[in-house]
Amino acid sequence: MAYLVMFHWGWLLGALLLGFAMGWIAVVHRGPGVSRTQAGWLGLLAAALLAAALTHLVPGRPGYWVELALLMLGPYVAGCAIGSLLRAWVVRRSVATRTS
Amino acid sequence: MDGFFKWSSKWWPGVIPLIVLWAFAAWTSTAPLEADLADRSAAALQGAVLDKTTIAVAGRDVTLGAEAFSEAARSAAVRAVDAVSGVRLVNDETRLVAEARPFVWSAERDVVRVTLAGSAPLPASKAKLTEAARGALGGVEVSDQMKLARGAPAHFDEAAVLLLGQIAKLKDGKFTISDSSVSLSGMARELGDREAIAAALKKLPEDFKIAANDLKAPPYVLQVNKDPVASTLTLSGNVPDESVHAAITAAAAGKFFSEKVVDNLKTSIGAPGGFAAAVVPALGALSRLSTGTLVVSDREVKLSGDALYDGAALQIRSGLGKDFPQNWQFKADVSVKPAVAPVDATVCQQLFSELLGKASIRFEAGKADLDPDSTGLLDRLVEIALRCPASDIEVVGHTDGDGDDESNHAMSEKRAQAVVDYLVNAGLPAARFTATGFGAAQPLVPSDSEQGKAQNRRIEFKVM
Repeated sequence: MAYLVMFHWGWLLGALLLGFAMGWIAVVHRGPGVSRTQAGWLGLLAAALLAAALTHLVPGRPGYWVELALLMLGPYVAGCAIGSLLRAWVVRRSVATRTS
Repeated sequence: MDGFFKWSSKWWPGVIPLIVLWAFAAWTSTAPLEADLADRSAAALQGAVLDKTTIAVAGRDVTLGAEAFSEAARSAAVRAVDAVSGVRLVNDETRLVAEARPFVWSAERDVVRVTLAGSAPLPASKAKLTEAARGALGGVEVSDQMKLARGAPAHFDEAAVLLLGQIAKLKDGKFTISDSSVSLSGMARELGDREAIAAALKKLPEDFKIAANDLKAPPYVLQVNKDPVASTLTLSGNVPDESVHAAITAAAAGKFFSEKVVDNLKTSIGAPGGFAAAVVPALGALSRLSTGTLVVSDREVKLSGDALYDGAALQIRSGLGKDFPQNWQFKADVSVKPAVAPVDATVCQQLFSELLGKASIRFEAGKADLDPDSTGLLDRLVEIALRCPASDIEVVGHTDGDGDDESNHAMSEKRAQAVVDYLVNAGLPAARFTATGFGAAQPLVPSDSEQGKAQNRRIEFKVM
């Protein structure tokens, strides 16, 4: 794991920034979101991939690619969370400034 | 918290560029990652003793193929690769090197190269043996056809290196180790090398034994060449010891009165029995030839050259082998020198005097029997007598002043007669010769010293 992070830090940083941008947008985005059912399925998919990676179920290169996907998903989600929280905080502050 | 869930439901559009990013990452990083893992796996196996090591990386999975020399080394190698950071799993395709039963190794020498074949226990011993062969034979090609196998006896390297140390003493042949039995075949390079190899093999590690030693020694050769143009007698080859050496050079000096003896003999062990007893009479036969070569090889004596007249050729062909010790063989390839142009009586007399000025006919001490060492000289006298067939010849005997006149006279006459008998035996007509004895009546020099006496004891030829 540490080896993979060291080896791919550039790509992971990219995923983090991408997530941050997406999280930043998501707070003010008016489009449709995923339903809870869909979210559940997506979670299940992620869990299945994680399980496959941990059990070394997929061999060779595809196995590595699954690990890489999961590895990039982590910083993306973290980036999204940070981006959304930060944007929400900024929005709350500006609303508070305007109302006062 | 509800807000957070609402926002997170809208994070999905970013997954599309994330997939693109992942695809790029996978596209560009797979090959460098695999190369890096392969390098570091190879580095982890640096100290391991393995053969035919192959490392194939797919993603983070390493397929390790290798032949190990022990189970411990095999599992240690797999563990070492497994411990490389970044390696996800190791596909173990290692196995143990095949075991050789019996464990056979050989070093074979021919004219141009040394071939190392059979089994070696470890790559390091393979390299060590190849190096030892190169070291023992500077400049000779060493062909390494050894395969690696388990099952070598203890101290194998030590035994094989010892054998390779002896390979320079081999002309051609093979050293073989089969389990702990050593066998040797072929021919030693020099005389004495076979014995030197046998002595060196006593230092083999204890558990090794010599199963067969079929090494042959090279032929024991002595060659003598008589060259009438350069007037030399060249002795070359081997003699068993200094006393035989001295006996042979003394015989050569006694039998060859006009040739300079060039002594290139060297002392070597391994002479066949009765060496001197065969060489000395063979030298006598050579002394009777005008030009010729004597080759003694082991127990075979070959004489070739030109005799001075027909009778001499016949005597040499039929007579010499009888003088030899048992089990010796004699091969004569003796032809007769073409007859020389006849000369008149004066020239004939001159030729006799010149020849007898160089050497004297010798007899057994106190007897009238011809010394065999004088046969070569007598043959030359026969040759001269053949050149003046019309002349009669008086053979005159003289003695030194020791003893009484009567016995000296009788002795001188008997000795002159012995010479005449030799000439007649050689095929000359008896009617041409008369034997006369003067005892001590006509000394050349005063008989007051040993040297003077020796000069006065003589046979003279007078052409009439």
